[in-house]
Amino acid sequence: MNFISKSQIKLRFVLLASISVFLLSTLVQSLYAQDTEKNSVRLKANYFKIMDSEVYFNIAASSRIDRQNVDVANIDIIITNEIEDEEIELGKVTTNMKGEAKFVLKSLSAMRPDSTGLYTISMSFKGNDAFKRASKSISFRDATIKANLITKDSVNYISATLLDTAKDSILSDQLLNVQVQRLFRNLRIGKEFNSTDENGTILVPIEEGIPGVDGNLTLEVVLNDSDDYGTVKALVKAPLGTPIVDESTFDQRKMWSPRNKTPLFLLIFPNLIIFGMWAFIIYLFINLFRIAKT
Amino acid sequence: MKNYDTLLKDLTPRKFGKRGTIWTVFLLLIIIAGLIAYIDQVIKGQVVTNMRDYALWGIYISNFVFFVATSFVGSVTVAILRLTNNSWRTPLVRIAEIITLAAIVMAGVTIMIDMGRPDRLLNLFIHARLQSPITWDVIIVPTSIALSFLLLYFPLLPDLAILKKHFKKTKPTLSKWYGKLALNWEGSKAQKAIQEKSIKIIAIMIIPVGIMLQTIDAWLFSTTYRIGWDSTNMGAYFISGAFLAGVGALITVVYIIRKVRRLENYITDYHFDKMGKFLGLAALTYLYFNINEYLLPIFTAPVEEDIHLNALVSGEYAGLFWFSQIVGLLLPLLIVLFNKGRKPGPMFIAGIMVVIGSWWKRYIIVTPTLLHPFLPIEGVPESWHHYFPSLHEWLITAATLAMALLMITLFVRYLPVIPIQRTADERALLKTDKNSES
Repeated sequence: MNFISKSQIKLRFVLLASISVFLLSTLVQSLYAQDTEKNSVRLKANYFKIMDSEVYFNIAASSRIDRQNVDVANIDIIITNEIEDEEIELGKVTTNMKGEAKFVLKSLSAMRPDSTGLYTISMSFKGNDAFKRASKSISFRDATIKANLITKDSVNYISATLLDTAKDSILSDQLLNVQVQRLFRNLRIGKEFNSTDENGTILVPIEEGIPGVDGNLTLEVVLNDSDDYGTVKALVKAPLGTPIVDESTFDQRKMWSPRNKTPLFLLIFPNLIIFGMWAFIIYLFINLFRIAKT
Repeated sequence: MKNYDTLLKDLTPRKFGKRGTIWTVFLLLIIIAGLIAYIDQVIKGQVVTNMRDYALWGIYISNFVFFVATSFVGSVTVAILRLTNNSWRTPLVRIAEIITLAAIVMAGVTIMIDMGRPDRLLNLFIHARLQSPITWDVIIVPTSIALSFLLLYFPLLPDLAILKKHFKKTKPTLSKWYGKLALNWEGSKAQKAIQEKSIKIIAIMIIPVGIMLQTIDAWLFSTTYRIGWDSTNMGAYFISGAFLAGVGALITVVYIIRKVRRLENYITDYHFDKMGKFLGLAALTYLYFNINEYLLPIFTAPVEEDIHLNALVSGEYAGLFWFSQIVGLLLPLLIVLFNKGRKPGPMFIAGIMVVIGSWWKRYIIVTPTLLHPFLPIEGVPESWHHYFPSLHEWLITAATLAMALLMITLFVRYLPVIPIQRTADERALLKTDKNSES
C-alpha cells in the first residue's frame, strides 16, 4: 500500500518545480519593480544667520522623474549636528508642496562646532515607498557683522565690521551688501560692491529722502551666500528716512467706499431727484383715481 | 372732410386679418424658442452664452442699450412736439408712446436676462450703492417705465370711453373692458382739467427723465476706465444716438401701421416730410457726435486706443463699424436731404436702415472695447479673445425683439393708434355732426 509509483514521484516533482519557479519569478519581479519605481531625492540646504536673532536652514527637496525636475513634497527631513564622531539630532521638518522646508533655531548656541570652530550639519531623508533615502551635509563657520550708524559732516553712514567669531579675527576683502528692507524687494544703497577693508569694515552713506513708516528704516548689512560662512545679516534700525504720509481713504466717504460711506452729495442730490420724480409719478397715479371719481 | 362715423370706422381697433394672424404667430414662435433657450440658460448658467472673462457684456447689453435708445422716441416726439405746439404730431404720438413703453419694458427685461439668475435682480436693490451707475440705472428704468405708461394712458382715456360706446352693441365684453380702463371718463370739465394738467406734467417730466435715462446708460460705460468708453462725449453721444434710433423706429412702425390699417388719409406725405426733416436733424446731430467720438482719438490716441480704433476702422470689426456708420447714419441722412427722399417709401427704407444700423452700432460700442483691455489678454483659451453670440444668445435676443414687436402689435390691435378724440377735435367733426344733428 505504501508503494508509490515512479510516475507519481515525477508528477509531484514537476508540480513542486512549477510552484517554485512561479514564486521565485514573482519575488524577483517584485524586487525589481521596487528598484525601478523608487526615485532618488536631491537635497539642497543653505544656512542663514540673523545677528542677535535666529538661525535657520532653507532646505529644498527635488527629484528627477521622467527627465523633469519635480519638487518632492511632504517628506520628513531630520537635521543633525555632527561633531567629530558624535551626532546630535536637532529636529525634523516636513517639506511643503513646493518641496521646501525651513528649519529654525533660536540661536547658534543650539549647535556645537568642532575644535576648529567648524559647524557641520547634516540633513537626511530616510526614504519611503516612492523615494530612496538621501542626505546632504553642509559645513560653515560662524561670522559676526557688527553694524552701527555714524554721522560725519552732517552725512549719515552705516558702518559694518565683519569678523570670524571663533578666531575673533577680522575678515577683509569680503563683499557686503547694504540694503533697506522693503516689502517686495530690498532697496540697495551705496556702491554695487562694498568690499571690507583691512579693518574688515565698510562705510556706506545713507541717502536722504528714503521713505519709511514714521521715518524709520531697517537697514540690512548682508554677507551673501559665502562659501565659508553662509549668509549672515545684521539689521539696524535707523530713524533717518522721510516719514510716509498715509494717504489711505479708508473709512472716508468716497466714490469707491461701501454704501454706508456714500459721499453726502451723492446721498442728497440723487435722492432729492428720485423722491421728487416719484412724488410726481404718485401724484399722477392719484390723478387717475381722481378722474375715475369725478 | 370725413364725418365722425367715418373717423370712428377708420380709427377704431380691428380684428387681425390673415397677415396679422400669421405675423402674431410668427412672433409667438420666436418668443417660445427664446423662452426655451432662456430656461436652458437659467438651468445651465451663462456658460451657454459666449460671454467669458473678457467679453463679459455681449449681445444682451448691446440689445439693452438699443431698447433704451429706442424708448427715447417718447421724449423727442411726444413731449417736445407737444410742448412746442406742433399740431402735425397728432397722428404720430400714440404710436410713439406705444414704441416707448414697449422698448423700455423690454430694456428692463433684458437686464434681467443678462444677470443670469433672475433672483439676483433683488441684489441690485438690497446691495445698492448710490456711487454705482448700475444703481442709477436700476432706479431710472422703472421710473421711465412708470412715466411711459402714464404718457400712453392719460391721453388714451377719452378714446377708451369712445371705444366703450362704440363696441357696446357689437362686442359687449370688449366694451366692458374699455369701460373699466376708461376710468368713468365722460369728458367733464373737471376730468379734462385733471387730464390736461397731468399730461403737461408728464410731457415736462419725460424730457429730463429721458435725458437722464440715456445719460446714465452712457455713464454705465464712460465711468469705467476702458478704451472707447472713457469719454466725456459719451452722454451727449448716446442722447443724439437715441434721438436718431427713436425717430428711425417711429418712421418704420408708422409706415407699416399706415399701410396695414390703410391710414393714408390721416398719416399723409406731409407727416412723412416732417418726420424726414426730424430724422435729418437727428442724423446730423449724431454725425457730429460721431466725429467727436472717433476723429479726436485718432489725433490723441495712445497705443491701446490706437489698437482699438484700428480694429474698428480697418480690423476685425470694420465691416460692422462701416455698416453702422454708412447704412445706419450717412445713407438715411442722404435720403432725407432730398424732397423725394421724404416720401413714405424712401422714408421707410431710411427708417429700416436706421433701426438695423442702430442695433449694430450698440454692438460695436459694447463688444470691441471689452476685447481691448489695457493689460494684454493672457492665460485664457484662444476663443476667449473673440466674441460672437452663441445660439442661445441669438434666440433669447430675437425673442426680446419679438416681445417688443408683439407688444406693439397687441397695442395696435386693441387701441386706436391715432387719437380719435383729438383728431375729431382738430377736425371739428363732433361739433359739425352735433350741429347737423340739431
